Amino acid sequence: MIRRVIVLFVVGLFAIVFARMIGDYSELQGLRPLAEYFVSRGPVELGVPNIVTGILITYRGFDTLGEVAVLFMVAASVGLLLKKDGQAADTTPADAEEQRPPSEIVSSGATVLLPVIFAFGAYVIMNGHLSAGGGFQGGAIVASGSMLMLLARPDSSLNVAVLSVIESFAGVIYVCIGILGLVLAGGFLDGRFLPLGEFGAFFSAGAVPVISTLLGIKVGAELSVIIDRFRS
Amino acid sequence: MVASLIHPLNIFIVGLGGGFVMPLLYRLGKTWLVAGFFVALAGITAISGLSFLGLLQGGETIEILTAGARPPVSISLRFGMSEGFFTFSVNLVALLGALQLWKRLRGNYAALLLYLILVMGINGMVMTRDLFDLFVFLEIVSIATYGLLGLDRAPAALSAAFKYIMATVVASTFFLLGTVLIYYVTGTLNIDDLIVGRAAITGPIGATALLLVLACLIIELKPFPANGWGLDVYETAPSGIAAMVSVGVSAGVFFSLLKLLPLFEGQLDLIAISGGVTFLFSNLIGLKQSKVQRLLGYSSIGQMGLLTLALALLQQIGAQASVPLVVGGLFVNHLLAKAGLFWFAGLARCTTIEGGLISLARRPLMIGLLGLFLVAIAGLPPFPGFWAKWELVMRLAATGKLPWIVVILVGSLLEAAYMFHWFTKALQPPFDETTTTWDGPALLPVLGTAALLVATGVVAAHFSGIRSAWIFAPLAVGIALYGLDSLPGRVKVALMLVTVLLVGGWLAFAATGIAWLFAVLLLAGSLVIAAAGLYREDIRPGYYPLLAVLLLSIPALLRSTTSLEFFFSWEIITLASCFLIANSRGGGPFVLTFLLFSLLSAFFVLAGFASIASVSGTTDLDALLTRGPEATVAFILLATGFLIKAGAVGMHVWLPGAYAEADDDLTAILSGVVSKVAIFGLLIGTYVSIRSETGLALAHAVAWIGMLTTITGALLALTEDDFKRLLAYSSMSQLGYIITATALMSHLGWVTALYLVANHMMVKGILFLALASVILRTGKRRFAETGGLRRTMPVTFATVLIAIVSMSGLPPLMGFGGKWLLLDAMADKGWYLLAAAALFATFLGFLYMIRLVSGLFFGAAKLDQREICEAPSALLVPQFILIAGIVVLSLYPKLLKDPVSAVIDPQFAATLVWKSISLQAIYDYWNPAPVMIVAVMVAAALFALAWIAYRSRRNDQANLDRFFIFWRPAMSHNLPPVAEIFWRGVAGVALGIATNVRLIYTGNGQTYVFYVLLYVLAFYFTSTGLGGVIPE
Amino acid sequence: MLTGLPLSTILLVTGFGLALIGIWGILAHRHLMRIIIGFVLLDTGFHIVMVATGYVTGGTAPIVDKAFSTAEAMHSTIDPVPSALVVTAIVIGMSVTAVMLAFAIRLYESKKTLSIDAFTESKW
Repeated sequence: MIRRVIVLFVVGLFAIVFARMIGDYSELQGLRPLAEYFVSRGPVELGVPNIVTGILITYRGFDTLGEVAVLFMVAASVGLLLKKDGQAADTTPADAEEQRPPSEIVSSGATVLLPVIFAFGAYVIMNGHLSAGGGFQGGAIVASGSMLMLLARPDSSLNVAVLSVIESFAGVIYVCIGILGLVLAGGFLDGRFLPLGEFGAFFSAGAVPVISTLLGIKVGAELSVIIDRFRS
Repeated sequence: MVASLIHPLNIFIVGLGGGFVMPLLYRLGKTWLVAGFFVALAGITAISGLSFLGLLQGGETIEILTAGARPPVSISLRFGMSEGFFTFSVNLVALLGALQLWKRLRGNYAALLLYLILVMGINGMVMTRDLFDLFVFLEIVSIATYGLLGLDRAPAALSAAFKYIMATVVASTFFLLGTVLIYYVTGTLNIDDLIVGRAAITGPIGATALLLVLACLIIELKPFPANGWGLDVYETAPSGIAAMVSVGVSAGVFFSLLKLLPLFEGQLDLIAISGGVTFLFSNLIGLKQSKVQRLLGYSSIGQMGLLTLALALLQQIGAQASVPLVVGGLFVNHLLAKAGLFWFAGLARCTTIEGGLISLARRPLMIGLLGLFLVAIAGLPPFPGFWAKWELVMRLAATGKLPWIVVILVGSLLEAAYMFHWFTKALQPPFDETTTTWDGPALLPVLGTAALLVATGVVAAHFSGIRSAWIFAPLAVGIALYGLDSLPGRVKVALMLVTVLLVGGWLAFAATGIAWLFAVLLLAGSLVIAAAGLYREDIRPGYYPLLAVLLLSIPALLRSTTSLEFFFSWEIITLASCFLIANSRGGGPFVLTFLLFSLLSAFFVLAGFASIASVSGTTDLDALLTRGPEATVAFILLATGFLIKAGAVGMHVWLPGAYAEADDDLTAILSGVVSKVAIFGLLIGTYVSIRSETGLALAHAVAWIGMLTTITGALLALTEDDFKRLLAYSSMSQLGYIITATALMSHLGWVTALYLVANHMMVKGILFLALASVILRTGKRRFAETGGLRRTMPVTFATVLIAIVSMSGLPPLMGFGGKWLLLDAMADKGWYLLAAAALFATFLGFLYMIRLVSGLFFGAAKLDQREICEAPSALLVPQFILIAGIVVLSLYPKLLKDPVSAVIDPQFAATLVWKSISLQAIYDYWNPAPVMIVAVMVAAALFALAWIAYRSRRNDQANLDRFFIFWRPAMSHNLPPVAEIFWRGVAGVALGIATNVRLIYTGNGQTYVFYVLLYVLAFYFTSTGLGGVIPE
Repeated sequence: MLTGLPLSTILLVTGFGLALIGIWGILAHRHLMRIIIGFVLLDTGFHIVMVATGYVTGGTAPIVDKAFSTAEAMHSTIDPVPSALVVTAIVIGMSVTAVMLAFAIRLYESKKTLSIDAFTESKW
């Protein structure tokens, strides 16, 4: 009981911290210079209609590369942690007996939905530079598809080896595109070594869609691998 | 092309690209994996190293832009001097660390890529100039750490890792919130823009955002008490990973704090307090720790606290110019030494300080490495931490931040205490030794860091303004001799004597004034006494190099022209004696006490020098010798420091054990020669006092301390049955006389002091060497087991007798000229009570000297006389030379008197003149006979009283032996070991506090998160106040 | 009447409220899964706060096309930077959660319990 009171006290103090900030908060009334630069110059410089994608992939591309590294490491760490060692292997058969087959809804739902999900994921990935979406979002959708698949067919297994090769290649190519930007265009991760093309067209905005696609593939593959590792 | 290859941006390309490619290489084959990993890691190191080199050669700071746009539009990074220094040193250690960790990394591509990206992430944290990018790199580093912590599957390691994750996730989540809120307030994330527009970050949101960012950085540095999660990881992680967390991850976070510091001008006090509390408490709690890795964890956290403290204070006092030396020095010191220690612990498989699977006791190289790292961690020379701490203390003293100096010195002392406790434990032989062989290559990284420590130490010395290479001469000679350590023992003695003569002579002849006199006297004395080492046939590994360092540091100290040079040599003397004692057979248990008191003394001296420098604005020792501003505080600090080292009453507890348990010929050097260095320091300190009016009262106090030391020493000597300890106490007692003489601050007093110094050196040299002979021939150290040796060891008997006569001050020998001068000088000053005490002390002195002679050489022989023969000539010849010295100086006192008056006169001419009579005149008119007669009569009367008291109880056959046996218990009963009880009490209180405070580390991750959250709240509310807790 | 409040303030209150619930979850619950959920809530709450602080009164999504010219966008889009940052933050938050879950599985295997009080091996 005392414990709860103390915890409540701490939460209360944080509530005061937050409340003071809310009290001070006033909605922005216009864009600040930096944001204004992104909105006004971004589409012109990069040829990307979706400004958020432009920022993510080009201006703050360095962050994004780091973020990709984070995901990559998580896939590796989860693999490292959940790797079966001798003792754990003995307990697996016992667990397997308890596993029930997936319900009718899941298995038939999967048959119907899977193609749609993957198609939608691909669409979101490919159109990231034009409208709402992008590699991460699309990759997450693809991975949710894989998850559904694994739920619907528990015996099936992902080819983790292939996926990990794919994710590695995607990562390496991403870094290489970055270097191309350094050599051919303005700097590391500058995608303007490919033609900007017609504003708003599918093939446009330099290397942004390429990177976006790579991201999508990589995120999709990594998340699928992570999900697969947790399954076991 | 080459220039673009070593561009720092390539660190990230190589790091990330290498990381991504790892799984592919793994499929190609093991060789590819290994090659790829090391190419990438070495590439990162090389790039940072070469770029840093370019900057050192005058290159410009490299601004790294990304995405073909300028900041703040895109993320930019910077590679300047400080970034270069941090990244290169971290990368180098990471490279060595990979070698050390190879067993666990090998073949595990996931671990390899995590390690590689971890290193890259640390580089990113250091280099990035974008606040959100900093968050991303912080997360990269954190997640790589989490993954690597998963390498160990032991339940404790997993639990610890989970606690670590919980705490750091809370911290980074708040960091994220702070970052975004700062963007909301300012509209930019570029750190440079933020610093320029610092004034605009106000209001509840702005202030909170800054505090959140700050609090989280501090928490990542594991502040007390919100650091249990860090300690658990240090304790349970594989040593290589723990090392990376301790030095690598912390380096990244610390550098982030450093670069964001201009944003936190208003919170400098808070940062300093946080750092100070952490430094003090983690070192205090460390005292109770016996698990090696957790111990290192406490030290690691303490060091980070010290770094934070130093950074905040330097910023506060506007001493940015000192930041490179102080912060850089402390950082690189911690980096190399702590990494080295963690690896060492892993290599030696030490889990507790009592020892691990592999015994260190019989592995001199390992012991040497451990000693080196511990010396570095304790901030002792010649390593970078020493120079950094000196500079820090000087800066703080100059701005009057004395409480902070106390915090730093107390914390350092505590740290040294538990670190060297480990060392002394490691020296002890193990219960059962398992024969495990070393991995040769695994030792390489440890050796590498050791070499780097030495190199950086020299560089840091250069930064400290040390331009004289000679101060390193003793160490260089030591290293050279260590290279020849496999030669036979006697060859090494000869070699050492020759080098000490040559190098020492070179060092000594550059000294001037009193220092020159001391240098010549002590060098000659040390050569003669050290020659006695020839009597030992064994190899004595490490002994002679250390002895050479010790003996050479003395002239080096005397040659110093600045207080920094003085302090450097002072610490080297301390360390060399400490390791020599540790090297002795029975020295182990007493090393720690010796070292701690020596360090305590050194810290007082350091504070004293700092205090002088703050008054006079210079570290020149010459400034002490001329009239300057009043400096009472400085005198008290210096005098305390030197008195501790001289073994003054109350502080003497370190002395008997160290002297008695050191090797027999070493004791002669310690007592005869090394103890005089403290006296020299006291003389220097007294000059400071002479400047001030209040000095006289203080000098009187010091004189009393000296006299009490004499009496206490004599009484303690009388209670001893162990004759080596008796002589140790006698040494203490005799130093008391010299202290008193110094404190007289009159011409006569100082002449006396120098006279006594020379006398005591020769007398104690003879006596300890004679005891060495007795111990060599009998193998005993107790009066109860020896006796009647005058027939079997007649020469030794004769030398002892001569030395005793000279020590007691009886005519015609040299001591006579000293002691009676002293009594006279005291009477002359009007210090009659002191003179009376001196008479009593003389009586006690006679008693224990009689005891020594009668106990050893008269009475019944208790051993088989046939087995005992005269001492070897190797021991006798040095005694003869010393006797010759006594005789010469007794016959021709002018030999000593003239140089003494020559060096003392100029300084005193301006301030004190003894009765306006010159020195020559004093001796001409002075007649010692009356004083002496009075003194001897008083002594005889007291002896008669004591004898009567004894006879009244014991009417049966009376003899001298029984006389002492009668009085001994009486004295030990009435002489409670007050000092020892006091110091035990101090230790007990410290340990008691540690025991209780560490209970906050419950081991429960939730509690730790609770502390972390409370820490954030504490930071917030102490900055903003509780005003408006109830929001309007 | 909540309608009197600006949209982003409502989001802000929601975000901070979620974060508070998260803190409660982390501190008050003993079960590892619940604690992890607490972390997720804390994280998500802050993500909502992030998005909210980028809102500009009357703004819309920062995507320009033929119907929504750059000149128009200058005056009526939200600040795109927090939106870009939150993507990164979400990914990182998810990553951390994944690692925590993986550790939780390992911890469960080592002790067959998920109570946080069971994992107190190292202390003092």
